[in-house]
Amino acid sequence: MATREVTRPSAPATPPAGRRTSVQRTKLWGTLLALPTAWIVGFFVSSMVIVVLLSFGRTQRDGRPVFGTRLTNYDALWNEVYLRLFLRSLTYAVVTTLICALIAFPVAYAIALHGGRFKSVLIAAIVVPFFASYLIRMYAWSALLSDDGVVNSALRKAGLGGVQFLNTPYAVIGGLVYGYVVFMILPVYASLERMDLSLIEAGKDLYHGPLRTFFSVTLPATRAGLFGGMLLVFLPALGDFVSAQLLGGPKTYMIGNLIQQQFLEGQNWPLGSAMTVAMMIGLTVLMVIYLRATTTRNREQA
Amino acid sequence: MSRRLERRPAFAVTVTVVFFAWLYLPIVAVVLFSFNSVKSLATFQGFSTRWYVDFFHDSSLITSLTASLGIAAVAAAGSLILGTMLALGLERIRSRSGRAIGAVTLLPLVTPEIVTGVAALLFFTGLGMKLSLVTVTLAEITFSIAYVTVIVRGRLASMSPEVEEAARDLGCTPWQAVRQVILPTLVPALLGSGLLVFALVFDDFVLAFFTTGVDPQPLPVRIYSSIRFGVSPAINAVGTLMLAFSALLIVLALLVPRLFHRKTSTLDLIAGGERP
Amino acid sequence: MTTTDTQLTHDPATAESPAVSLRALTKVFGKETVVDDLDLDIASGEFFSLLGPSGCGKTTTLRMIAGFTDPTSGTVMVGGEDVTSTPPQKRDVNTVFQSYALFEHLDVRRNVGFGLRRKGIDRRTIDQRVGEALELVQLADRADDRPAQLSGGQRQRVALARALINRPQVLLLDEPLAALDLKLRRAMQLELKSIQREVGITFLFVTHDQDEALSMSDRIAIMNGGVIEQCGTPEHIYENPTSVFAAGFIGTSNLMPGTYGDGVVQVCPELRVPLLAGHGLTGGEQVSVAIRPEKIWLSELTPAMVQVPGTVVASTYHGATTQYLVDVAPDVTLTVLEQNLPRMSTGDRWTPGSRVQIGWLPEHTVLLR
Repeated sequence: MATREVTRPSAPATPPAGRRTSVQRTKLWGTLLALPTAWIVGFFVSSMVIVVLLSFGRTQRDGRPVFGTRLTNYDALWNEVYLRLFLRSLTYAVVTTLICALIAFPVAYAIALHGGRFKSVLIAAIVVPFFASYLIRMYAWSALLSDDGVVNSALRKAGLGGVQFLNTPYAVIGGLVYGYVVFMILPVYASLERMDLSLIEAGKDLYHGPLRTFFSVTLPATRAGLFGGMLLVFLPALGDFVSAQLLGGPKTYMIGNLIQQQFLEGQNWPLGSAMTVAMMIGLTVLMVIYLRATTTRNREQA
Repeated sequence: MSRRLERRPAFAVTVTVVFFAWLYLPIVAVVLFSFNSVKSLATFQGFSTRWYVDFFHDSSLITSLTASLGIAAVAAAGSLILGTMLALGLERIRSRSGRAIGAVTLLPLVTPEIVTGVAALLFFTGLGMKLSLVTVTLAEITFSIAYVTVIVRGRLASMSPEVEEAARDLGCTPWQAVRQVILPTLVPALLGSGLLVFALVFDDFVLAFFTTGVDPQPLPVRIYSSIRFGVSPAINAVGTLMLAFSALLIVLALLVPRLFHRKTSTLDLIAGGERP
Repeated sequence: MTTTDTQLTHDPATAESPAVSLRALTKVFGKETVVDDLDLDIASGEFFSLLGPSGCGKTTTLRMIAGFTDPTSGTVMVGGEDVTSTPPQKRDVNTVFQSYALFEHLDVRRNVGFGLRRKGIDRRTIDQRVGEALELVQLADRADDRPAQLSGGQRQRVALARALINRPQVLLLDEPLAALDLKLRRAMQLELKSIQREVGITFLFVTHDQDEALSMSDRIAIMNGGVIEQCGTPEHIYENPTSVFAAGFIGTSNLMPGTYGDGVVQVCPELRVPLLAGHGLTGGEQVSVAIRPEKIWLSELTPAMVQVPGTVVASTYHGATTQYLVDVAPDVTLTVLEQNLPRMSTGDRWTPGSRVQIGWLPEHTVLLR
């Protein structure tokens, strides 16, 4: 074509590729990344490495921890007491996650679809207390539920007799739910907000009855939010030790309490490190399985 | 636009009402009994501010309060700087290594706090650092960077890349474009995430618990040790003050974008509920 | 092919240096060649449009001129100066973005004055020129508003003023009207054109809207698949499309592929379209012929016309015109556009089923290969 056959009188040769200063690319973004990345690698990543290294170490006679290459700490984890405790933590975390889902769904649904003008206010009313002191909120429950607390004195006044709430699994799980349910409500709320409402209308025509509509339309549409929320609740719940510390007792201790004891009471840091590493490995394995399962289900859904 | 369906689902509304009652019951109780004139936690005998007076006369509690405020301020400033740099770099860099860095820097968000706490404790003692407010602050900065990054990145992602190109087009170098156009546009998000981090760090217990020295201790750690000795109205007073203070910060953080006439609020970024 | 009308480059010996010159400009993203060995000269003071469907490479070309995208190879020259490796902030071009890209934290006045402030011009001059620029786009009364307080059309004007105030060699406009509604778009087309005449700056306008390109441009380049299919004045391109793509993209055409032989193009056994001499085709060559719907007559045919019998299968009344679909062969339906002239009444229009004789002048048969 003629357009290709033009003469190029005034065009200088293209500069060699190597010398060419790039117009678009700039070193700025890399420079900006350098300092925070160095910080996070320096503090966070390297501290994780130290935990792993120390988990193979031992405690000297004078109580000082030293690095080593032994598996004794991991062997020590294989005993009935610890395994029961691990199982208990896992059960608490799973039950907490399920209860959070059961609470989050109706609450997010009511606010997203029937909140009207007050939607943001209602969500803010949930968010604000949840970001305010976790410790104080746990303390508040322990004060409420204690033997001489409001609930028990009211029960006694009504002639029903006192009930022991504290030191029970119910109180610990209740505390965990109270502590983390917001992480379930927000993603479910977000996915309900993004959902096409006509789907529900269509579902009502198609399936008759709100329950079948819920299971065949609403639930699948908010699956991603639900799966994300479950992860966000499960992770901190499994590592929690404040709820069991303030609302429970030795019979309801979780992994977090155990680790905390090794570091701040028992002073067996290598054992504590091994527990921490074991927990992280367990969490990673669970997460990989979970993400595999949920992403394939999401894909099938799509 | 109305997202209202004709019929209110009675079940969902009931659960929501009960949920809100459950959510605020312990908070109301703490606040109420902080004004109780007697030591009882079961019956309210009369209004009194004696527990607050006690608090303000307890010099060690005041020292802890000051320490916590200081930690929160420094951690908010530090994580704001680092987190914003990270967000800018991650949002614009296009290389594969950039994405890998992105994944690593978000790790603190998915790591249970007790693990971070243990790791920080080992790190500082391994380096031979004496545990103090400094170590707490360093740990809190590390933990908070990811929060700032997530919020600022969310705002950056909603900004058209053409805005930055327009700045270049009108004579800015890449750095001038960041300073004169991108950062000013981010001000509401920066303020919002700064306030959020301040509140989170001020209230944080777990990380502070593992990285603090003996004296002075951050306020939450101090409160924790008193709680273990039993419930007392004085803690109710401190708790009320802390709840009120954090609530104020969070409300401010949520409202900041509104004050700047922005459509996206911090709440949208937290909740991910920004409408398309 | 050596048609003189598709000449894209100026003769440097006779003309001042063009506002924009692209030489062998190529952009490859991964495996995809988005802009392919492009050569183009845009004269100073010209209103030039790059017209093409999305993905044709027109925006990438614009971005390479602005400096936002690095070319894979080739050169970009602005005002005779090679700027291929010059960063955007040092190029004498400014851009009006599709999203307007206004600075939300600055008021209208500061948005418009941004470029001048970067150049370090004194405040009084800036104030004066901002005032002039805002007058030019009729926004003088909104100088203290924030972009968020403006309507879409107003934001568009601010973006225009912010770019124009720098008096660049070339103003690049990336589909600036795409986000406006139809009525506002029409008004802005006229206004853009008159502003361009007033300031005399070279405009390079990127659009996928053929009406927009036809009504505003001095010259149009039709882009497809990373290359320029045809370049010329709006009239020339419309009347003499040289490719099937150009004929189809600008306006509507009755496009008929066929085989050449013996002075005619055989479209199908029932339809033979004679060509004027001078086409230079050899027998058996596969070509296409195109006829614009408004060039076909349904009445008052003259002997000079190519005449074909047909059947009206549909008629649509459009006010000023009536559009007919006429079957001339089993597989060939032609679109015919007839003016509704004052002397015509409803009864004069053809109804479906009518047998008609249609015709067009041989010079209106456009040959495409």
